[in-house]
Amino acid sequence: MRAVISVQQLTRTYGAHKALDAVSFEIAKGEVVGFLGPNGAGKTTTLRILAGYLPPTSGTARVAGFDVVRDSIEVRKRIGYLPESVPLYRELRVEEMLRFHARLHGMDRGRTEQRVAAVLEQVQLTERRRDLVGNLSRGLRQRAGLATALLPEPEVLILDEPTSGLDPIQRIEVRSLLQQLATRHTVIVSSHILPEIEAVCPRVIIVTKGRIAADGTRDQLLKQLGDRSYVRIEAVVGPDVAKAKALLGSIEGVSEVVDKGRLGIHQCFDLVCSTDLREDAGAIAAARGWALRELSWRTPSLEQIFARIALGDGEIASSSAFDAAMPAEPGAAARVELSPLVTLGQPAPAVTVKPAAPTKIVYNLNPFDAGAGRDLGKPKAVDTPKPPTNP
Amino acid sequence: MRGFLAIYRRELGGIFMGPLAWTLLVIAYALQGLLFLVYLKTSQGDVDLALRFAFGESWAFWALAALFPPLLTMRMISEESRMGLLEYLLTAPVTDVAVVLGKFCAATTFMALVWSAGLLHALLVMRAGVTPDWGAVWGGWLGAVLVSGLFCATGLCASSFTNTPVVAAFGSIVAHLLIVILPLLAALTEAEWIRAAIARVDVVDHHKASFLVGVVDSAYAGFFLVWTALFLFVATRSLEARRWR
Repeated sequence: MRAVISVQQLTRTYGAHKALDAVSFEIAKGEVVGFLGPNGAGKTTTLRILAGYLPPTSGTARVAGFDVVRDSIEVRKRIGYLPESVPLYRELRVEEMLRFHARLHGMDRGRTEQRVAAVLEQVQLTERRRDLVGNLSRGLRQRAGLATALLPEPEVLILDEPTSGLDPIQRIEVRSLLQQLATRHTVIVSSHILPEIEAVCPRVIIVTKGRIAADGTRDQLLKQLGDRSYVRIEAVVGPDVAKAKALLGSIEGVSEVVDKGRLGIHQCFDLVCSTDLREDAGAIAAARGWALRELSWRTPSLEQIFARIALGDGEIASSSAFDAAMPAEPGAAARVELSPLVTLGQPAPAVTVKPAAPTKIVYNLNPFDAGAGRDLGKPKAVDTPKPPTNP
Repeated sequence: MRGFLAIYRRELGGIFMGPLAWTLLVIAYALQGLLFLVYLKTSQGDVDLALRFAFGESWAFWALAALFPPLLTMRMISEESRMGLLEYLLTAPVTDVAVVLGKFCAATTFMALVWSAGLLHALLVMRAGVTPDWGAVWGGWLGAVLVSGLFCATGLCASSFTNTPVVAAFGSIVAHLLIVILPLLAALTEAEWIRAAIARVDVVDHHKASFLVGVVDSAYAGFFLVWTALFLFVATRSLEARRWR
């Protein structure tokens, strides 16, 4: 299919800072592409270059067959660009703004009136056509901006963070509008909010630090980058953890066994494998008489892949995404120590935060140990740190 | 030139949509009307002399000429850049030259309207039975518009250098005051070459020596047009340079 947007080795520097570093990609006619990346990744710079606002430092970008630098006006005739800030003249009414935009595109009066009515209907702003742009809410202004971008019936729609600053309802509205537009235009949408991109764009380009980190459909990215899927098993494996680990590692297809540590009486392992090996792991557990608490198959989601790429984390995405919110070890909370002498009128003493020493937790399922009324769900004894004593 | 007319119309509309333009017009018309009466009195009824004062012979003319254009142009590029509107304009299918010229012509049109007070006064005295020297009146008005055009161009230039309208206004007012007091500086020096150099760029003298006496000399008109074009060229380049920053 013919490439409507073709970007080759695009580089853009701001002084010493390289915002884009040899970025290359192509977008075919009718494609809807999500441009995903953390703040400062180079998304807006790329879109501004495509819109003819910024020239690249090196490399080429072509839109609809025209070079964005040499044939900038031709490119601008064929695009509808909505910057993140939705710049519209606040003192104009919505329809006046659209008419002004039509005049910039050299439309005659008849076509202007026809297109103004059509795009107002499309973004559901017909009722508000006489409102001043400055009096519109953020969501309505976003729609007015979209109407402006759509007015000249562009071949390519370039939308920079179209849902930025909107409330959840407004986001859903704009998202459904984008889904409608996707059927008629080649669309490139930038965002750092993944669910929006996932909802609208079949293809995703992930940029980070000015480079393309990933490019493909959701399934392709998962296959390409999410290969570290794993089976998680949490079981009571007895005292010989190393033996249990070796046993699990002997399952065909397991490339690595990651010991995630002890959670109460259960030992947690991640069996890194490309296929679902829960049955094999479960069979071993049954054969060895291990009491299972969890046996699950986990594959990284697109969000986790994005987080992993954005953070430059080479570890299993789940490890960072799922486990980050949980303490690494039970009871391993940080301990705050204050200097012993605190005198009024003096500067506050420095607070030093030291990692707590590992606390030994002992579970005992014997209900007669330490009294029949003991809650079996709680450890028998916890070595809590002694509070600091004031001299 | 693609988009020029659309930008010109929007800018002119934008000027009149704000309260500033109406305030400036009221001040200009009231001040010029009052001063015209004073000039008539001091010139003992010499209408042509009074109109010469109104179109360039008085300090009030140069004060308005120096102060008004920066107030009109200060926001035109700097504010639009800050609000992101420049990104909107420069991604529409219009050239940078059209953007600068559209804004320049809108500001100059407003100044032409400001100086139309003098034309109004000439009409009024004609209705009262005294026919003014219409050549001098139209020449004076045209000269005033050319002077304002030059000052609007410098104002736009200043506006393209910064994102802060107040800084743009301050910068161009200082530049205009320097231009206006340049002949006074010439009087302070004995060096002939400095006097000659100042005479070549003396805006005040170029206005008074030609247009104010009713002579539209192409050399004098060219002087204003060339300087105006130079500042507009710098403003356009500055606008383009923003893309590289």
